[in-house]
Amino acid sequence: MDDKRDEGGSAYNGFGAEWRPANLTPSEARAATSWVETRIDRRSMLTNKDRVEDVRDAMWQLERDGEIIVHRIDDRHEPVVARTLYGWEKRIPTTNLWQHKSCGQCGNIPGYPSSVMWLMNKLGVRYLDETDQTSCTAWNYHGSGVGNVVSLAAVFLRNFHQAYMSAKAQGLPVGTYYPLVHCGTSFGNYKEMRIFLMHSAELREQVKKILGKLGRLIDGKLLIPEEVVHYSEWLHVMRHRIREQQVVDVSGLRATIHPACHVYKMVPQDVIYDETVMDGNRVAVSTGLMQTLGAQVIDYSTWYDCCGFGFRHIIGEREFTRSFAIDRKIKVAVEEAKADVMIGHDTGCITTLDKNQWIGKAVDKVYALPIMADCQFAALALGAHPYKLAQLHWHASPFEGLLEKLGIDWQKAKAEFEAYLEEVKAGRIETLYDPKRAITSGPGYVMPTSTPSLSGAAS
Amino acid sequence: MTSGVVSERTAIGDPVSNAPVVAYEKLEEVFEDIRAHPLFDHELHGCLNCGICTATCPSAHYYDYSPREIVQLLWTENLEGVYDAMQEKIWSCAQCYTCAARCPFENSPGGLVMIMREVAIKHGMQSAKDVLRPFSRVLLKVISTGNQLAPNMITREAFPDWGPNVAKVDAPLNILRKAIPVPTMHTMDTAWEVNLKTSVELYTIWEETGVLDQLETIDENLFDVVSDVMDEKRDEYNEWLEEQQE
Repeated sequence: MDDKRDEGGSAYNGFGAEWRPANLTPSEARAATSWVETRIDRRSMLTNKDRVEDVRDAMWQLERDGEIIVHRIDDRHEPVVARTLYGWEKRIPTTNLWQHKSCGQCGNIPGYPSSVMWLMNKLGVRYLDETDQTSCTAWNYHGSGVGNVVSLAAVFLRNFHQAYMSAKAQGLPVGTYYPLVHCGTSFGNYKEMRIFLMHSAELREQVKKILGKLGRLIDGKLLIPEEVVHYSEWLHVMRHRIREQQVVDVSGLRATIHPACHVYKMVPQDVIYDETVMDGNRVAVSTGLMQTLGAQVIDYSTWYDCCGFGFRHIIGEREFTRSFAIDRKIKVAVEEAKADVMIGHDTGCITTLDKNQWIGKAVDKVYALPIMADCQFAALALGAHPYKLAQLHWHASPFEGLLEKLGIDWQKAKAEFEAYLEEVKAGRIETLYDPKRAITSGPGYVMPTSTPSLSGAAS
Repeated sequence: MTSGVVSERTAIGDPVSNAPVVAYEKLEEVFEDIRAHPLFDHELHGCLNCGICTATCPSAHYYDYSPREIVQLLWTENLEGVYDAMQEKIWSCAQCYTCAARCPFENSPGGLVMIMREVAIKHGMQSAKDVLRPFSRVLLKVISTGNQLAPNMITREAFPDWGPNVAKVDAPLNILRKAIPVPTMHTMDTAWEVNLKTSVELYTIWEETGVLDQLETIDENLFDVVSDVMDEKRDEYNEWLEEQQE
């Protein structure tokens, strides 16, 4: 067997039997790397493709042909237009939103969805958070291979059909609520499934048969969303309105952004880019929000790397997950960017980067970089309680120093939260909305006696 | 997999391994299942061997894994190589799709890996069973409830390498969950409260799409447990429906 080592003794694997080390000199290696970096750091890395297609063209044609019905974003949703990778328009609904939750966020980072809903209350945005929804099941699929395109597409359209129908439970017209997807993997997966469905009559037929059994067709047709919208896109188009209510100065912070793979590498043509955000060379969400809030966003050399989550690896092969998270993300953000915080916009990334720092002590890689989602940071900037609302106590990374830099007394806030826990034990629980609204059918559902005001405010 | 193992000279084996040889017909059958997958043509268009996929691949940093090699094996129809890669390499992929985003041919090596994983499960490969054993807790949760992750799965015993600060406020989990201001999240066994009707609908999707068959192939015991849970929930839902009619 060939010795696959270069002159420096580094081992290279997985390149196949024909691979031979190049044995570049350090200056040659630097020149080669620079050549690559000038390209990978540009948006053009994603745009030089031959087969570029706007799947919405096929979608509208199928609707004209009478095959599908499109759940439209209309005046009820007060859309704001954003521009995607190729400059195409994407209409982002800003109100009457159906919260399509994330299992990883709700199970492990609960301050993530609570921050989204709190910001909506703050901005007077109407929404529905209900129990008739499942995970997209794509985390499981990407981790295990259990599942398939038919099951993923059926779950996608079942959940989105429920979003369309949900307003009926409140005596409102169907289509009032538009789905807002919290998880990045759900977002990427649903966009892929929409493409596959638009391209394959066979897949549409298979899914239609299943949804027919579930009573999840509209006039005998599949319901397809006009857009698949991620919460970070909502935050992006709302960022100036969010800024208007900012009460905490964040200008002293150096922030790094971890763009999520399943948000911008899956179906990249449907991702928002903005010439005013890093010259349009980075996905605009999160970065645009942080800049609008006044933080210093610091670029770093491994911005494009994944977090190391791996879907399967985070469960059963964490040596990979934690090594990659520390070596390629945390270490670089701390040593190169001198970051005070790393901001993300996806479930697995926040979990991976947050939870895999402590173990670095075992190999003298000691880092303490606060990790949180963009919505949690925005909520803090608008004065949200760091424990009761942003729920930062579920984070393993040390956020206390960050709060001090923001002028937030975390010890006082923690004491307030501990006192609140006593109230919780006594059954006095504060919520962001009326819990009765969460059940829209089946056991526990009560038909409303009058049309609700659709208030998203706490009650 | 034993049905595909033969000892004749026509069979293909690894001269430096003790693993039993695999019949050529079996290799063809596996490859045909990959090629017949509805997404195969969507994920593979050609390959110049440029290696940009491997250069940017996180798993290539740590494993004997290369997305370029996966694409080449499939593009050149290297049946032995494909079968061999399905024993271990395909499970290294982190599913980040950086390879797909960057490939000038618009291949998706990550997508091809998913097709190969599906086929590995279909053929009941022992390697797939072994690699998915730690994942069984997750499979049980997602198939029986529709939620992949539950708060009570995050314990110090399950994640000792996450350190002692996973919960920074010392209180019982059920109290901490109720202190989340989102009513649907006051749960322990699921990430959010899932409507009973929703779970029952999901079971129909699993049955109609062959997901339960996949589960039975890789883990019969898990399949039995999931089936029991599904039966119980369906009974519960049917009882509720009967109550409504009374």
